[in-house]
Order: sequence, then structure tokens, then C-alpha cells
Amino acid sequence: MGKTKMKRTEAGSGNLKEHFKRNWPYYVMMLPGIIYLVMFKYIPMLGSVIAFKDYSAYKGIWDSAWCGLTNFKKLFTYPDFYKILRNTVVLGLLKTVLTFPVPVILALMLNELRNAKVKKGIQTIICIPYFVSWVVVGGLVFDIFGIGGLFNNVREFLGMSPLLVMQKESWFRPIYVLSTIWKESGWGTVVYLAAISGMDPSLYESASIDGASRFQKMKFITFPLLVPTVLTLLLLNIGSFLTLGFDQVYNLYTPMTYSVADIFDTYVFRVGIQQAQYSFATAVGLFQSVVGLFMVVTFNKIANKVSEDGGLW
Amino acid sequence: MKAYTKKSHVRESANDKIFGFVISLILILFAVITAIPLISEAAVSLSSKTASQMNQINLLPVGFTFDSWKYLFMKGKIWTPFLISVSSTVLGVAIALLLNVLMAYPLSKTEFRPSKYIMLFVVFTMVFAAPKVPYFLTLRSYGLYNNYWVLILPHIMTAYNLIIVRTFFKQFPRELEEAAMIDGCGKFRILLQIVLPASKAVLATVGLFYGVTMWNQYEHPMMFIQNMNLFPLQMKIRTIVDGGGELQAVTMAQTANYTSATLSAAAVVFAILPVLVAYPWIQKYFAKGAMLGSVKG
Repeated sequence: MGKTKMKRTEAGSGNLKEHFKRNWPYYVMMLPGIIYLVMFKYIPMLGSVIAFKDYSAYKGIWDSAWCGLTNFKKLFTYPDFYKILRNTVVLGLLKTVLTFPVPVILALMLNELRNAKVKKGIQTIICIPYFVSWVVVGGLVFDIFGIGGLFNNVREFLGMSPLLVMQKESWFRPIYVLSTIWKESGWGTVVYLAAISGMDPSLYESASIDGASRFQKMKFITFPLLVPTVLTLLLLNIGSFLTLGFDQVYNLYTPMTYSVADIFDTYVFRVGIQQAQYSFATAVGLFQSVVGLFMVVTFNKIANKVSEDGGLW
Repeated sequence: MKAYTKKSHVRESANDKIFGFVISLILILFAVITAIPLISEAAVSLSSKTASQMNQINLLPVGFTFDSWKYLFMKGKIWTPFLISVSSTVLGVAIALLLNVLMAYPLSKTEFRPSKYIMLFVVFTMVFAAPKVPYFLTLRSYGLYNNYWVLILPHIMTAYNLIIVRTFFKQFPRELEEAAMIDGCGKFRILLQIVLPASKAVLATVGLFYGVTMWNQYEHPMMFIQNMNLFPLQMKIRTIVDGGGELQAVTMAQTANYTSATLSAAAVVFAILPVLVAYPWIQKYFAKGAMLGSVKG
């Protein structure tokens, strides 16, 4: 591997000495970045070995004793593991099925708006939530669904008794889905609108001449042209299924809803970092990362098949 | 785009008009629903203690008062976290841009053979994330536990943003660089004096991506920062929303014209304000970035 690399480089610029003489500034430029990636990405990856070790704080990552697959055996016999796996998959599925189509529909509709000012105004408003933190969204959700919040005020107005929404297991998933739609669909819409604005206007003109209605144009021109983008993003979304993100769940759940809300990211944080069960939590995290790797690679491959240039690489 | 707007001169059928009307209605409704939580929260933050305790506040302030805000600003201990967030974001974006530009430039040169292998090295970090615990232990071993720099260093380079910068550099006209080379410019000078001045838009976009991540970050401070004096704004907001610490005592005070609810609302709105201030700028550059991220390019 190393040898062929050398040879090619030499062929590219005479010889190795010549190559360095000419390109040393490039190496200098890349050095900080490479050191950074090694320190902050690759060394932590290698640290995963503690999943196969009995980590002792005194000995550190590299000198702790090996313990084989003990942590993984514990993992697969642990009921909690299946609970968080299920929660992660369910929330991921809900996110994909229920929230993914929203920006597509919004973009198709926004594209039909003739009044540029209204269009811009709506875009501006629906995008704001994307840029606020999940801490803020969590604060908003707790305030609005709490006692004295808008939600319970409306219930009271309708003659219903107040409901502690955030403490109810059955409400967590709807809250999760709604908060995702609220925070992220505006931004998704902008991405799709950018794709739509790149479409060939002559298609619409000829359709107009043929007497197509606006709805027909949306259905038979805009939508089909948008499908490759939609499909690509969908596949990439599914690929990163297992990394739902710590911030959202952590800022929306309560101990009362752990049973349906706890996902890999939050579980590993509580058990691994707060309770310091380092080796076991690393096994959980490693499972997540490895399955995640396979999924990303697989779905990237499919995305590449579905549309040219579809995948991330 | 032009031809498309011209079309509106064609007389629309009645059906088309109804279609347009229904769509406008749905979209305006969606925008209103998006805005309601923000409006309601602002209303709560501007309402009186009694109104809050009687659950009277919906979309408009009841018993209008700035008392929650006054308390937040004067005694809420919000300014240190605010300054920590501002300084770490500004410093972080500057470092991130420097690091990313330096790394992306050689990677954009196809004739520089090693770039292909380094690219693989970069992309791999995108598909395989180190598990949290070894990540935590490693960074702690670097001395980043309870350290201001943990707000910056973990976020200064992501594969995704690096690739955006690289894609942009790839599209830079070769002739300009070659002309400078013939004039005897070294590679550093070409990057600094020829390429960078023409890259403001992409730097703004990527800088904003990094900036928003750093400003909004919660997971890293949650993992690494226990010391209250080092809390960034988001952590502080969360403690106020949770009604923790000194705020409990405040609600007890009879004379105060606020409750933990109105204070929490003020804190949440306060955290949104900087985003709103930067928003016109964000809007300008973010949409551009949306179309830039492709590894291939």
C-alpha cells in the first residue's frame, strides 16, 4: 500500500525530493488539521478498546486489563439494552416517516406562492427555530405544555382538566415528532426550494401553453424533478438513523418518560459518564457506532445507485 | 427564474386561483403556528406574578411588567455565561476558519496526489464516530475537563464543513493562481492574497455553520463542565428553566413581581435574541451553504 503510494507520487512530480521541494507548503498547511483529526477523532476511536477491557481509572485506557467479550455478553443479556435499541429505532422511524415529508410538501407549496413578499416572510418565520438550541426548544415545550402554559389553558377553556404532558409516557413520542417538525422543517424547506429554483423554466412554459393547471404543473413537473433530491436525502437520513442526537431527547425527557425516551446517546451519557461505568457504556456506544457505520455506507451506496452524485461520497 | 415569473401575466383560471388561495392559507397557518410558541413565551416573560400564578397568559402579556427581565439582567448571573458563549463562539469561529482554510486548500488540488488519501482520512471521521465514553476519557486526559477550551476545540473542524470549503476552492479559476505562480508567488501567498480575498462568501457560510454549532452547543458542556463559573449560556438557561438554585428563593420573596415561570420565559427569550439579531446575516449565507456540501464536486 505504502509503496504504490510512493511510486505514484514520484511519477507525478519527478522524484520524491522534487515532490517535497515543490509541495512542502501544502504539507505545512495540512499539518495542524491532520494533528487535530488524529487527536480529536482517531485517538478517541482507538480508545474504544476499553469495551474489551476492564477499565480502571488508575491504569487508564491503554494499561487496563483485557476482559474479552464480557461487556458485550452483559450488553446482550441486559433488558435495558433492548429498551434503548427499541426507543432509538422507534423514534428514528417516526422521525423519518412523519417529519421527513413535511419540508417537501412545504417547499412544493411555497414554490407556488406568487407574492414574493409573502413567500419571503413565511420562509423567514419558519426558519427561525432551526437556529435556536434544543435547550431553548426544551424550555419552550416545557413552558407551553406545563400547567399555566398555552396548551393547558386551551384545555381548561374547553372544559378539560389540566394534563402534565411532559410526565406522560404516551405523550413523549408526539412531543418528539412535533418538536422536530417545529425546529427542522423550515430549514429543510429552504434546501428543497434551492433545488426547485434550479429547475428548467422552459418546462413550465411549455406546460402552460398546453393548458396545464398550477396543480398539474406541481404534480407532473416540480414533484418528479424533486424526487431524486428527496430520495437522496431520505436515504442519507436513514443511514444516520442511530444518531438521533443527544440534545433533543435530553432536553425533552423527564425521569417519568425514560422508558420510552431513553436512546443510545442519552443512556450512554447517564450510565457511562455520570455513573462512570466506562467499559460497559463503551460497549453500548461501539455497538451504535459500528451498526451506524454499516448503515451509512449501505445507504450511501443505494443513494449513489438511485441518482448519480446522490451519495455523500 | 425570470421566465417563470413572466408566466404570471398569463390569465389564471378560477381553479388556479382557488389552488393558490388554499396554499397561501395553509402556509400562513403553518408560519403562525411556528411563531406562536415564541410569542407566548415572550408574553409570559412580560407578565406579572399574579397573571402567571392565575394561568391567565396566552399570547399577550397580562399585567405588563419588565420585572422578570430586570431580575434576569441585574441578579440572574446571566452575563458571565453570556460572555463565555460570545467569546468562545467568536474565538472558535476564527480558529475554525484558519484551520479549515489551511487544510482545504491542499485538498482541493488534484495534482497534489496525497490529497486523495487525506480525503479518505477526513471522510472516515464522518461515517464512524468514536463512542462517547472513550471520547470523553481521551479529551479529559488532554486536560479539557472543566476547561474553557472544551467549548472550542471539539468543534473547530468537521468533515462536512471542510468539504464545503474544499469544493469552493476547487471551483476557483486556475488561471489566476497560475499567473501568480509565474510572478513568483509561493503557495502561502497565493492562498492568502489571491484565493482568500475571493472566498468571503464561503467563509461567511462556513463560519456561520461553526458559529451556530458553538453558540447552541449543550452536549459538550454537559459532559465536560461541572464548574458553574464556566457555564456557557445554554447551560445557564437550562438551570433557570429547571428552576434551580437561587431562583427558588426568589419566588418565595413576596414583594417580587415575577415567578419562576416568568423568569424561565425571560431566560429562554433572552437566549433567542442573539439569534434574531444575527438572523438577516444567517439567512443570507445559510441557503448558499445548503447547496455546497458535496464530497464529490
